[in-house]
Amino acid sequence: MRSVLNLIQQQLRALIIIAGSAFMFMGLPAGIAQEHSYAPADIETGRGLYQANCLGCHGDNGDAVDGANLSTGRFRRASSDEDLIRLIRTGIPNTPMPPHNTMSVGQVRTIVAFLRALPAGGGMASVDDREILIGNPERGEALFNGNALCSVCHGINGGGLLLSPDLAGIGSQRSPASLELSILEPGAEVRAGNRFYEVSDLNGKISVGKLLNQDTHSVQMMNEDEKLVSFLKSELSSYGFMGSPMPSYLDVLSPEEVSDVVAYLLTLTEENAQ
Amino acid sequence: MIRMTITPKLFILLSAALVWANANAQISPERLLNADQEPQNWLMYSGDYDSHRHSTLDQITPENVSELKLEWIYQVRSRAGAAEKFEATPLVVDGVMYTVSPPNDVVALDPLTGRVFWTYSYSPSPEARVCCGRVNRGVAIHDNTLFMGAIDGHLLAIDARSGALKWDVEVGPASLGYALTLAPLVIGNKVIVGPAGGEYGIRGYIVAYDVETGEQLWRFNTVPGPGEAGFESWEDPEQEAWRTGGGSIWTTGSYDPELNLTYWGVGNPGPDWNGDSRPGDNLYTDSVVALNADTGELAWHYQFTPHDEMDYDATQIPVLVDLNWQGQDRKVMLWANRNGLFYVIDRVTGEFLLGKPFVEVNWMDGFDAAGRPNQVLAPTEEGTFIMPNNQGATNWYSPSYSPVTGLFYIPSWMDTYSVYTKREVEYEPGRQFVGAFPTMAMPALGVRPTNVRLPEEGYGAIQAFDPQSGEMVWRFEMTNVTDSGVLTTASNVLFAGGREGSFYALDARDGTMLWRQSLGGQVASGPMSYEIDGRQYIAVSAGAGLFVYSLPQ
Repeated sequence: MRSVLNLIQQQLRALIIIAGSAFMFMGLPAGIAQEHSYAPADIETGRGLYQANCLGCHGDNGDAVDGANLSTGRFRRASSDEDLIRLIRTGIPNTPMPPHNTMSVGQVRTIVAFLRALPAGGGMASVDDREILIGNPERGEALFNGNALCSVCHGINGGGLLLSPDLAGIGSQRSPASLELSILEPGAEVRAGNRFYEVSDLNGKISVGKLLNQDTHSVQMMNEDEKLVSFLKSELSSYGFMGSPMPSYLDVLSPEEVSDVVAYLLTLTEENAQ
Repeated sequence: MIRMTITPKLFILLSAALVWANANAQISPERLLNADQEPQNWLMYSGDYDSHRHSTLDQITPENVSELKLEWIYQVRSRAGAAEKFEATPLVVDGVMYTVSPPNDVVALDPLTGRVFWTYSYSPSPEARVCCGRVNRGVAIHDNTLFMGAIDGHLLAIDARSGALKWDVEVGPASLGYALTLAPLVIGNKVIVGPAGGEYGIRGYIVAYDVETGEQLWRFNTVPGPGEAGFESWEDPEQEAWRTGGGSIWTTGSYDPELNLTYWGVGNPGPDWNGDSRPGDNLYTDSVVALNADTGELAWHYQFTPHDEMDYDATQIPVLVDLNWQGQDRKVMLWANRNGLFYVIDRVTGEFLLGKPFVEVNWMDGFDAAGRPNQVLAPTEEGTFIMPNNQGATNWYSPSYSPVTGLFYIPSWMDTYSVYTKREVEYEPGRQFVGAFPTMAMPALGVRPTNVRLPEEGYGAIQAFDPQSGEMVWRFEMTNVTDSGVLTTASNVLFAGGREGSFYALDARDGTMLWRQSLGGQVASGPMSYEIDGRQYIAVSAGAGLFVYSLPQ
């Protein structure tokens, strides 16, 4: 344990601030390939059909399925609305997406209308569309895999910790400002599937981990050893959510370096996710 | 310049990184070899490689079993409509339960509360076609990886901790009827499966994949092709019948590590009910095959029903027992076959040692010295009355062997019959390739809410047989037939269930009814047992629920 910490501290000491050069400004990612404008009534109809047919898997905000975030306006397997309608009706073989062929094309079109109207929050409750500085993605990638130590925890299409979110597709799912905020202030807003929980048993033994499930009487987590564990609340002295275990990079990386990492994360699009 | 604070939370994550980097294999090959040494877990479909479906846990006894109380129910949800038969036996691995919600959703559950850790949802290709329900019998585990066969012919490797997909291979094309319904078997670095599809004119095989990569390591064709041993048993002059010869695999095999042989029961030849286009014995259909686990090479085979025209496929669980056979210690295999006969076979050589009916049988009247049945009835154009019926005297339902009582327990369909009629049949890719469906007084699959049948139209039983004599020791009779497996425990409690939804405990020594519950949906799965914090639990899938029982604290 000690040696790992020493190693990390050494690496942090060696972290070199790279002077910024070519910066550009960007707003929201190029966005939403919407071909039609939809009437509010269609969107409302679609909301109802979404709630009846889609919400069970995709969640209230369209972001409950990893790798298939519906709230981004970008779809790996569909570029047009007609593609989307076909995909919803036929399902995607060999994936969890079943066919929905009991709905008419017109009904499915209203679901697409609803999806197109979802705020592109990438699963965050709020949409952060502030314009921010976007740096150099190559330098960002070097920082990500090197001195900033991001890759110690975060995998991209696998490779990180199971406790930490895999960042494949993050560039399609989140706005630049929201990515920047997560780097500078990781606890500001944490997606539902990434929240941490802490329990203390009656002897004071503490366990922390990623929250997987909870109810009035029990809680299920992946603990720090990446094992699946369950606790009865009656056998705990305390339990509750904890903040993000990710450190803030506010005083670690320069603003230019943060912009580089954001630029790199924006290259991790759904198209490149496996 | 750099001022990063190592917070306690970050410390925890970094520690986890270290643990992760040095993670030991959770379920090593050695643990699977010694699965009977950790009765708190249930590490494979039949409990251990001998496939006894016997738990050495003994907290629940004939004296206290009547106090069993329901701990929790997990209800499966089907996105495609009502759940079809829930046939999976769950695994319990170091405090986590894994099962498959039909058709192909893997669920990780807390075995104490039934609460969900994660779900891996898989939508099989719409091209999937299965004769007898969109079912799955459970997962296998190696290290931190679960393996699930899907009804569209895919085999999936899933991370047991996160529920993330690791790899996915196509074992056989769904459009031609290849489907996986069995729980895979893991031996060493191999995960072994075979495709169902005996009603679609598949050509079957048993195939081993590398657990890490999904790369195919060996394949044994259950219907040999030109140049392969056994091909001579396909005697049609055109030499075409083997291409659609069946030989499906849909129940899990067993394994003897000393002999390094893995044993698998092979399904019916195709087409099912008219064998005119496939003269010959049609090896290795309706056989047990013993394969070298490293190479897939055939060591021996025994064919229960040569040139089968009654759909008596040998898809039962091979039960491996070491016993003193007529004064000699022998490694044998006990096998109650769908064709109505109970067999004892030497599992070193494949030698036939004993064969006796365990229900009414009229299609054969004895064996020759090599164990070949003397068949006296077969389907005809006018129709032939044959016992047992097409669904068989037993089927995929797991039997149990108790080393404590020395008895072999068979879920049995008693006094059933079919009228088999021969009809022309032609192969069309992806369509059923069967012939005329035999008539049956007993519904093969469908469960009706009411039962008004006469006893002579068939009934169910759990039968206890003495492997030494092949004689019945006791029989527990049920008004309806059963698709339930049998679990026995070291404390002489036997658990099984019925189509009408009852789940019950019998005394394994004499068949006395000790306890019963109505679960409100048919028991079509094998029960299992596990232990957490010193308490023994019994789990069974029934209807659309997984039910878990234990004694009051």
